[in-house]
Amino acid sequence: MRQTPLQILALLLLAAGLLAACGQQQATQPTSAPTAAQPTSAPTAAQPTSAPTAEEYVFGMVLVGPINDGGWNQAHFEGAKYVEEQVPGTRLIYIDKVNPADRPNVQVEQAIEELIDQGAKFVITNSAEFADGTAIAAEAHPEVYFLHASGDAVLRGVAPSNLTNLMGRMEYGKMIAGCAAALQSETGKLAYLGPLIDPETRRLVNSAYLGARYCWETYRGQPADSLAFKVTWIGFWFNIPGVTLDPTKVATDFINEGYDVIISGIDTTEGLVEANKASQAGKTVWAVPYDFRGACAQGEAVCLGVPFFNWGPRYAEIIADARAGNFTSQWEWIGPDWNDINNSATSMIGFERGPALTAEHAATLDEFIGKLADGSLNLFSGPLNYQDGSVFVAAGETADDETIWFTEQLLEGIEGQSAP
Amino acid sequence: MQSQELNLQPEPGRKQASGTWWATLRLPLLALGGALALTTLVLLSSGVSPLQAYRILIFGAFSTPVRFSDMIMLAAPLLLCATGLTLTFSAGLYNLGVEGQLALGAVAAMLPLRLFPELPPALLWSLCFACAAAGGALWALLAAWLRLSAGVSEIFAGLGLNFLASGLALYLVLGPWRRSGSASMSGTELLPRELWLPTLGALRLAPLAPLLALLALALVWWAVRQTRWGLQLRAVGLNRVAADRLGVPAQRRIAEAMAGCGALAGMAGAIQVLGVFHQLIPNISSGVGLLGLLVALLVRADPRWVLPVAVVFASFTVGSVQLPLALGVDSSIAGVLQGALVLFALLARGLSRRVTG
Amino acid sequence: MEVAVHNLCKAFGAVRANDDLTLRFAAGQIHGVLGENGAGKSTLMKLIAGFLRPDGGSIRFDGREASLHGPGAALRAGVGMVHQDPLDLPAFTALENLLCAAPRGAIGSRAAGRQLLSELARRLGFTVEPDAPLASLTVGQRQQLEIIRLLACGARVLILDEPTTGITAAQTRALFAALRRLAAEGNTVLFVSHKLEEVAELCDTVCVLRAGRLVGEQLPMPVPQRRLLELMFGAAVAQPTAGGAGEVRITALRSEGGLPANAGEDGTPALPGLHGSPTTERIAGEAVWQLAGVSARAGSVALRDVSLSIAAGRIVGLAGLDGSGQPILLRLLTGRMRPETGHILVNGRALSGGGSRAYRAAGIEYLPADRLNEGMIGALSLTEHFALLQNAALVDQRAAERAARAAIADYAIKATPVTPIRALSGGNQQRALLALVPPDCRGIACEQPTRGLDVASAQAIWRRLLERRLAGCAIVFASADLDELIAYSDEVLVFFAGRVSAPLHRAELSVARLAELIGGVGFGGG
Repeated sequence: MRQTPLQILALLLLAAGLLAACGQQQATQPTSAPTAAQPTSAPTAAQPTSAPTAEEYVFGMVLVGPINDGGWNQAHFEGAKYVEEQVPGTRLIYIDKVNPADRPNVQVEQAIEELIDQGAKFVITNSAEFADGTAIAAEAHPEVYFLHASGDAVLRGVAPSNLTNLMGRMEYGKMIAGCAAALQSETGKLAYLGPLIDPETRRLVNSAYLGARYCWETYRGQPADSLAFKVTWIGFWFNIPGVTLDPTKVATDFINEGYDVIISGIDTTEGLVEANKASQAGKTVWAVPYDFRGACAQGEAVCLGVPFFNWGPRYAEIIADARAGNFTSQWEWIGPDWNDINNSATSMIGFERGPALTAEHAATLDEFIGKLADGSLNLFSGPLNYQDGSVFVAAGETADDETIWFTEQLLEGIEGQSAP
Repeated sequence: MQSQELNLQPEPGRKQASGTWWATLRLPLLALGGALALTTLVLLSSGVSPLQAYRILIFGAFSTPVRFSDMIMLAAPLLLCATGLTLTFSAGLYNLGVEGQLALGAVAAMLPLRLFPELPPALLWSLCFACAAAGGALWALLAAWLRLSAGVSEIFAGLGLNFLASGLALYLVLGPWRRSGSASMSGTELLPRELWLPTLGALRLAPLAPLLALLALALVWWAVRQTRWGLQLRAVGLNRVAADRLGVPAQRRIAEAMAGCGALAGMAGAIQVLGVFHQLIPNISSGVGLLGLLVALLVRADPRWVLPVAVVFASFTVGSVQLPLALGVDSSIAGVLQGALVLFALLARGLSRRVTG
Repeated sequence: MEVAVHNLCKAFGAVRANDDLTLRFAAGQIHGVLGENGAGKSTLMKLIAGFLRPDGGSIRFDGREASLHGPGAALRAGVGMVHQDPLDLPAFTALENLLCAAPRGAIGSRAAGRQLLSELARRLGFTVEPDAPLASLTVGQRQQLEIIRLLACGARVLILDEPTTGITAAQTRALFAALRRLAAEGNTVLFVSHKLEEVAELCDTVCVLRAGRLVGEQLPMPVPQRRLLELMFGAAVAQPTAGGAGEVRITALRSEGGLPANAGEDGTPALPGLHGSPTTERIAGEAVWQLAGVSARAGSVALRDVSLSIAAGRIVGLAGLDGSGQPILLRLLTGRMRPETGHILVNGRALSGGGSRAYRAAGIEYLPADRLNEGMIGALSLTEHFALLQNAALVDQRAAERAARAAIADYAIKATPVTPIRALSGGNQQRALLALVPPDCRGIACEQPTRGLDVASAQAIWRRLLERRLAGCAIVFASADLDELIAYSDEVLVFFAGRVSAPLHRAELSVARLAELIGGVGFGGG
C-alpha cells in the first residue's frame, strides 16, 4: 500500500510532538524539581486537587519565559523562592513560558485561572505583555490580589483595587552598566542588545547611554561624540525563532562591526555567551548581561558585571501584608539600597561586578556609584534632547519620575530606532 | 496523489459488509488503544502517573465553568477549520494552507475594526466576519490557482502561503498596526471592550462563536450530503478523471472547495481576533488550523464526527494547561495524544484494508 | 550464454500468461519473439530478466538452473533487459547514470567509467556523450546508454522489448548493427517485436507465442510472412482472403476465438439486435466527427495528418497493436487531448480547442477501457452516479434511485441501486458504464468495450451499443480482438506505429488482411 502524504504528515506531526515533549522534559527539569521537592515541606503539593491547608498561603506566579533563563524570569523565580523562605506558611505555584510561541493556546488569563484554581490567593505576573490580561483577571477575581511587575496600570489610573504594580529602578543599574562598559571599552563602541521597543526599554537604553557617556567624558577624558552607542532591537524579550531577530546573530554582528562591549537588555544571555565565544577566538570583547545576579556564570572571562533585580524582599513584604489583610494598590518604583546596593535583604537593584572588570576600573566604578548614592550626580539633568532634537529635559532641570517612566524616544547620541 | 481517495472518505460499502458492533467499532478502538499505549509510554518515561494525567487531559476541561468556556472558545475556531477541511478533503485536497487562511482571515477582520471603529458593534462584527471570510477564501483560492494553473501541489502552495500569511501578520503587528510608542511582537492594541464579542457573564465564552461554528458545520453537512454540488465534490475527490468524464466541472469544484474552506478558516480567524485574543497577535492561529487538520484526518471528512472529535481535541488542549501545575509534565503531552490518535487511526485503517482487501 | 526455460508457468489471476513454456535460445544468435497483444511475450522476458518470479518451471543459463530474486540477480547471472521506456535518472549525465547503476566495484573510478563508456560506445557505433545530461538525449540515445550499461555490468544476454518504438530510422540501423555485432561476439540477443519486417531483417531464429503457449519454436529465419501471421493469429489466416470463403473462415474462427457464432444464412455474421444485413447506408446520417489534417503526439507515438469523417449511425473499429496510436485518436475524438495541428468538427461545429466538457456537451461520450479508474467512481453507487448526472442543485434521491432501478432492469445489471460500483463484476460495470450514457448522445468512443468480459457479457454490451447506433449514434471503438472488429465495424482503421491505414470497408475485411496491416505489412517502409 502506498503511503499517502497525509500519513507521512501525521507521522511528522507525531514525531514533532514527541520531540517537543522530550525537549520540554529537559527544559522543565528545574520546573519539576521544585515541585517535586515540595512534598518534603508541604506534602500536599503533588496532590492537585487537595485544598490548601488553613494556615498555608498559596501564591502564584505567571512567567513569560522559562524560570532558568539566567535573566529576568529567573530573577523573579528566585524572588518568589525567597518569599517562600522568608514568609512562613507560604507556598509558590507557577506557570512559566506563557507566551504565544511556547504555549500558543494559553493566554495569561487562563494561566491565572489555573493558579487560582490551585488555591492561589495572590498572583504575580512578570511581563509588560501581561498588563491587559492581569487587569482582566483581577477584575474577574476581586478576592485575589495581583501584582503586575513592571506594569503601570495603577500609575495610569486604570487598575482595579486588587492590583498593585512594582518595578525596580533599573535605570541606576543600567547607568552603572553603561559606565563599566565605557571604562573598559578600547574602541569606544558600545552595543546594546535591545528587546522590544516600549517606554521601559527606551528609558533603560537611555540610562545605559547616560552612564556610559558620563564615564567616557569624566574618567576616560574623551569627548562625548567619540563614543559610539548603538542599539538593535530583536522584537521580543527573548529569541522566538522565525519571529524575532536572532540575538545570537545580532551579537556576532556587533562584534564583527567592532563593538567591544555588548550590554544586554533582553531576558536571556546570548550577548554574554557570544562575547565569550569571540573572546576565546582571540577577540577583545566584553559583555554586561542583565536581570539575574548569577548571570555572569555563563561567561565569566568577559563579564564586566551584571545589573540585577532583587525582587525577593519587596515581594515578601507585599505578600505578608496581603496575607495580613493590608494590601494596598500602588505604583511602586523602588531604587537600590544606597547603603549597600548588593545587600540581598534590602536592595531591590544591584550591580554584581564581573571578573573581567579590572581592579582599577572597579575602583572608578565604585566612585561613580558613590556619586549616584549621595545624590551629587543626577544623570537625568538637562539639557537632554531626544533623537529628533526635541527637548527631553531642559537645561537646568531634572526629569521627574513620570517623565522618565514614559520616555518617548531614545536620546541624542544613540544610534538605533526610538519607535518602530 | 491518485491514491488519496483510499484514505479520506467514508466508505459506505465497507460498512455494510458486516453489521456487528465490533466491525463498526473495531478500528476506532484499535486506534484509541494504540494512541493511549504510546502516550502512556511517554508519560511513564517522564515519571508521571498516566491515570492522573489522563484524568486531567480528558476531564480537566469540564471541571470548572471557566475551563469549559475556554474549551468552547478553542473548539469554535477549531470546528470552523475542521468543517472547512471537510470540504477540501471531500474534494480530495490536502489544504495544508488552512493556518495561513486563518491568519489572513484574522488580518482581514482587523480592517473594518481599524477603518470604521465608530460603527455600531453588531454591524462592525458582521463586517469583520465578512471580510475575514473573504480574506481566507482569497488566500485559499491563491493556493487553488497555483494548483490548477501551475500544477503546484496545494500542500506546498499552502505551506508557502502559511509562511507568507504569518509574515504579513507579524509585519502588521510590528509595523503599521503597532501599539503607539512601542514595537513588540506581543500584539496590536487591545480592542475597546465594547467591540469584544459579548460573553456570558464573567466567563470568556462568547456564544456567538460556537453558534457560528455549529451553523457552518450544519451548512457544510447539508451541502456535502444533500446537494448535487456536494456529491460532485465527493466524486471529484474520489476519482477526478471519472468525475470529469461524467460531466463534473472538476476544476471549478476544487476551487470552490478551497474557497469554502478558506472562508470558514477566515471566520475562525475573526473569532480569534474578536472573541479570543481581542487583538491581532503574530501567532493568531495558535496552531488551530493544524489541529483542525488532525481532526479532519481522524474523522475522514465525515461531517457527523467533526463536532465530537473537535470538542475532544479542544478538551485535551485546554485540560493539558493544568498538567505542568498539577503533575509537573509539559502540556505538549496533549499534542502527543492527539497526534498518536490520528496516526493509529491511519495505521488501523491501512492494516484493515490490507487484511480485507 | 545459452538461455533455456523448462515448463515455465506464470499466471495473473485467471489468465495464464505463460503456460508450460519450454524453449531454448542458443548463444551467439539473435532470437525474435513474436506474438499478438497478450500472447505472453513480455511475461516470458520479464521472467528471464528476473522482474517476475515464475509460478512453476525453471530457467537455466548455460544449463545451470537459476533462481532469480530480482533483476539484479539476473544481471549478475549475465542477463540484462532494455525496457521500452529506459529506466534511468533524467537529472544525471550519461556517465553518472552508468556509475550509479553499476554494481559495487564494477567500475573503479569516474575516469574508468568514462573510458568504459566511450569504448563501448565506439565499439557499438553509438553516439553517447558521457557528460551529456540525460534529459537532453533522445529515446534512442538513452536506449543506447542502457545497452552500454548492461554490457558494462557484465550482461551476455540482452533482452530488448520493442526497441524500435520511438527511435529514428538511423538509430534503428545503428541498433541492428550493434546487435549483430554483439551476437557475432557470442552474446545472445532476444528481440521482442510486433514488427514482422524488423524480425525478418534482424533475427536468426524466431519463436511465436499465442495465448501463453508456444506455437512456433525456434524457426530458423527466413520464415514466410504469411506463415508467421498464421502462427500469431491462428491457423485460418493462411487461407486466401478473397470471396465468400473468408466469411466462412471468420465464422470458423469465431467459434474458436470467443464471439457468438450465429452465422446468418448468407454467411455474414448475424448481429444481435439487427435484422438482416447491416446495411449501413440506411442508417448513416450526417457527420458526427470530422477531422481535417489532425496531428497529435503522446509519448513516443505521434499521429500525423489524420483526416476522416464519421457519420451518425456508423461503427468504426480501430485495430492495431498496443502503442500504435489508437488511444490518441480516441482521446482526440472526445476532447481529452487537443490536436497540435488540424481541426476537429463535431456535428459540424469546430471543437478543436474545446475540452472534454465541451465535447460532452456536444453529445460525445467516452467509454474508457479502465472502467473503474477512468469511467466511474468505485466508491459511489449507481444511484449516486445517476444523481451526479442530474441537473438540479439538490439531489433528487428518488429520481436517481428510479433511474438506477430502470438501468438495472434494462441493462440486466446484477446490483442493487446502492451497491458501490467497485463491488460489481467487470461485465456489470461495463453495462453500468453504458447505462450512464445519456439517451441523446451523438457519438460514443469506446476503448476495448469488451475487454475481460465473458462471451455472454460481451454480447450484451454489443447489443446495447447497436441499439445506440440504431438511435443515430456514431460509434468508434478500439479493440485488440480481430473477430470483434470484423463482426461489428462498418469500417476499420488499422494503426501501425502512429500511422493510420485507409478505411477498410466492411466488404474488404478479413482477419488475414487485418493481421498483415497490424504487423506493419502494407504500410510501406520507413
